[in-house]
Amino acid sequence: MDSAARHAEYADVRFVSSSSERLSTRNGRLDGLDSSESEGIGVRVRRAGAWGFAATRGTERAHAEAALARALELTEGQPRDSGAALAPEPPASGRYESPVERDPFAVSAADKLGLLAAADAGLRTEPNVALTLARFDAVRTHTVFASTEGALCEQRLTECGGGISAVAVDGNESQVRSYPASHGGHVAQAGYEHFLSLDLAGHAPRLAQEAQELLSAPACPHGRTTLILAGEQLGLQIHESIGHAVELDRVLGREASYAGTSFVPAGAIGALRYGSQHVNVTANAADPGGLGSFRWDDEGVEGRAVPIVREGVLTGFLSSRETAAEIGLERSGGCMRAEGFARQPIVRMTNVNLEPGEAGTLDDLIADTQDGLLIETNRSWSIDDRRLQFRFEGEAAWEIKGGQRGRLLRNPSYAGITPEFWGSCDAVCSPSERRLVSLLDCGKGEPGQMMRVSHGSAPARFRGVEVGVA
Amino acid sequence: MSALEIAERARACLDGGGLARVVHERSSSLRFAANRPTQATAIDDVTVELAVVRGGHVGRAATNRTDRESLARCAERAVTAAELATTAGAGAHPGLRVDAPRPGAGGGSRARESRLHPDGGAAALDTAFSVARAAGLEAHGIWTAGVVDHAVTDGEQAKEERTTDAFFKVICIDASRGRSGYAALAAPSPDGLGVQGLCDEAARKASTDKGAPELELPSGRYPVVFEPAAVGLVLATLGKSAFNGLAHAERRGALVGRLGRQVAAPAVNLADSPSFPRGLPRRFDAEGTAKRPLALIQDGVARAVVHDRRSAALEDTESTGHATVPGGSTHGPLPLNLVLAGGGAADVAELCGTVERGIYVTRLWYANLVHPKETLVTAVTRDGTFLIENGAVTRPLRDLRLTDSLLGMLSRVQALTAGQRLTSEAEFYGRRNPSGVVCPAARVGSVRFTSAAG
Repeated sequence: MDSAARHAEYADVRFVSSSSERLSTRNGRLDGLDSSESEGIGVRVRRAGAWGFAATRGTERAHAEAALARALELTEGQPRDSGAALAPEPPASGRYESPVERDPFAVSAADKLGLLAAADAGLRTEPNVALTLARFDAVRTHTVFASTEGALCEQRLTECGGGISAVAVDGNESQVRSYPASHGGHVAQAGYEHFLSLDLAGHAPRLAQEAQELLSAPACPHGRTTLILAGEQLGLQIHESIGHAVELDRVLGREASYAGTSFVPAGAIGALRYGSQHVNVTANAADPGGLGSFRWDDEGVEGRAVPIVREGVLTGFLSSRETAAEIGLERSGGCMRAEGFARQPIVRMTNVNLEPGEAGTLDDLIADTQDGLLIETNRSWSIDDRRLQFRFEGEAAWEIKGGQRGRLLRNPSYAGITPEFWGSCDAVCSPSERRLVSLLDCGKGEPGQMMRVSHGSAPARFRGVEVGVA
Repeated sequence: MSALEIAERARACLDGGGLARVVHERSSSLRFAANRPTQATAIDDVTVELAVVRGGHVGRAATNRTDRESLARCAERAVTAAELATTAGAGAHPGLRVDAPRPGAGGGSRARESRLHPDGGAAALDTAFSVARAAGLEAHGIWTAGVVDHAVTDGEQAKEERTTDAFFKVICIDASRGRSGYAALAAPSPDGLGVQGLCDEAARKASTDKGAPELELPSGRYPVVFEPAAVGLVLATLGKSAFNGLAHAERRGALVGRLGRQVAAPAVNLADSPSFPRGLPRRFDAEGTAKRPLALIQDGVARAVVHDRRSAALEDTESTGHATVPGGSTHGPLPLNLVLAGGGAADVAELCGTVERGIYVTRLWYANLVHPKETLVTAVTRDGTFLIENGAVTRPLRDLRLTDSLLGMLSRVQALTAGQRLTSEAEFYGRRNPSGVVCPAARVGSVRFTSAAG
């Protein structure tokens, strides 16, 4: 950093060491047992408003010096621009380690495989189940961050979890059921204890039965109805139609090249009605167990809770030091994150959570609903580049009639316009129903970066939603 | 140390059979937004993968450290994983073996590394800003170039190649009217990008309004002229699903029971062509299997799916050279060099010429499969959607959501341009593994749109 300070108005460096272990079974056989490790240095500099970032896998001083020289060279090569100032931030200092009761990397692979095999066997209990999958996932990231402003901090984050899926096939019909979520299961910032708590084997027979049943279940009807979203599907709804839409780099047009922009204007704080009075959203980097939790983001800003929507009105953005300064915020929201050492930090979600309401339990909410659908697990999603018009498909839906959960429906789908959809929210369940769900493959940026985030929510009800849009 | 030397050092750490693969990436990327540079990234990284098969099970481990001690630890992890797997009974993997090099095999290209210097990208950005400002627009996009060394060895056979790739994308935005226009091209070298032409094309699209405001079309079926970027996304999505040999072997694929049958219009000839000169050539896959041209759809008839060694064993056939990971990815093999043969239309204007009322689509976005067996996909149009009336583009349209079957759309292809373009989104998550689809523009007789978007 001493060397960088002589050449740049600002610079930071991250040393990142990552380890991961993934086990999966497929139709009762081990499908993969992969472990990987990587480490390296990413140097980011700012000179005359231009950013340069260089990453190298070496960890010696010479490697860092070379990366610094390359980053400076990149700023030289760019058309000149003064750029915005950075929002002030006290230099980060200290150490942090996420809570772990049982180190997932210290548990034998044989133990993990035994649990996956038991779950996989439980899935192969129905005649039309053609594919069964069970997965274990653990990641550890060790980051040391320093900046020319005097920051020096170190954190070690551990994530662990897994999931199961069963695919049933009959002729041209194919149906899938997953637990506790599709797209990789549920991973938390926690130790092996979280994987054990999922009880994959205990849920496997039910899952296989539902996949089988879906093959001949009636199709989701078309029309407008009341929709209750829970679990992963509600998490993904929050992620796609709120989380991404309030990323300040998108709002300011910085991601127009790839991920897109946002329907939310930069001056909308306090003015934009995002949803009904029941909609309260917080971006919380201090949520225990969340994959969007950390002590410091990847530009040294302390993670904290930032109110995004209060009683339906936009109150904040997900921001960085640069984007926060650009719209006159006093401080960054602490949302700069990078995938490993070889990617530049960009604005990413922390844990963007829908705050619980007062509608009681999920059973209470169903009992309070005359006609409608319940969707919990996602199968497919798509939303436009302004995060306005979306269309989602669930793995399964349950019909609600007269306040009772009824028959299973296949191919459930729904569509909507973001502020109208959140405006139709008339109930959110109570804190006792709140759960975190994880999304493991949020892509953004160029070069591409995958990020893992979590979303906390309790089941919520939406009125007059268009369903059966497939 | 070369990629092959690292691979040989890594392979030497394995007792018994096994395969080492090394990918060494050096790349530069310059992003820009609203006529300003925003991010500049240089990456130099190596990935070493070791894969071993014991009792029909694959164990894998990866590292980016290349010292002997780290490689030995990596090898130990891979062997331990495979040996552990044998406790779960016999596996079905046929083993890993790098096949013998073919004499005179093409593919790959020698890098002109000087072109990786950021100056090359800076000139592209200057051009984009200049064109956009002159038209009263904002330019957004990316210039990126990479050199990747690939090596693979099983201890007996070894292969190496160097690939180069470049990509330039520009989206011109008229912020006052919320209009945007897109142009992009991938190429084996930055020299082939044609930056000025792309900037002009994007600016023209953002400015094409004929004095009319955006029109919102009702849902329904329309004839569509797709630019190559949109065709490329359709084909890449099909490549991941219908042509995936693992999904096919597991009865989940859309071509189960349909190989040898008509699945597309007779004009559709789709192949995976790893040495196509205007593509991003590759000589071998992640398992060291030689890549060869493979006809996937011939005159509209489905001919083949792609395989790695694992999926091939399930189907009692040979690998077609489409492994993305040694031992086979859990997502299955992928065709990464798709080429759709061109047709007889001179250009997109000729494709539009017979359309009485239809839609011109520059690109599609956020395409996700809804029902893989039906190849039902949903996606939205983006950055240049226009109304075609009486044979010509007349006015901009509000973006639309397309929800239709991929194979269904291919079966309704009416005409293709003679010219092709190498399309790519350059979505190189993780290690740089450049791929793209070479394809023409297409006119499809009927495409289902289910709502407005954006």
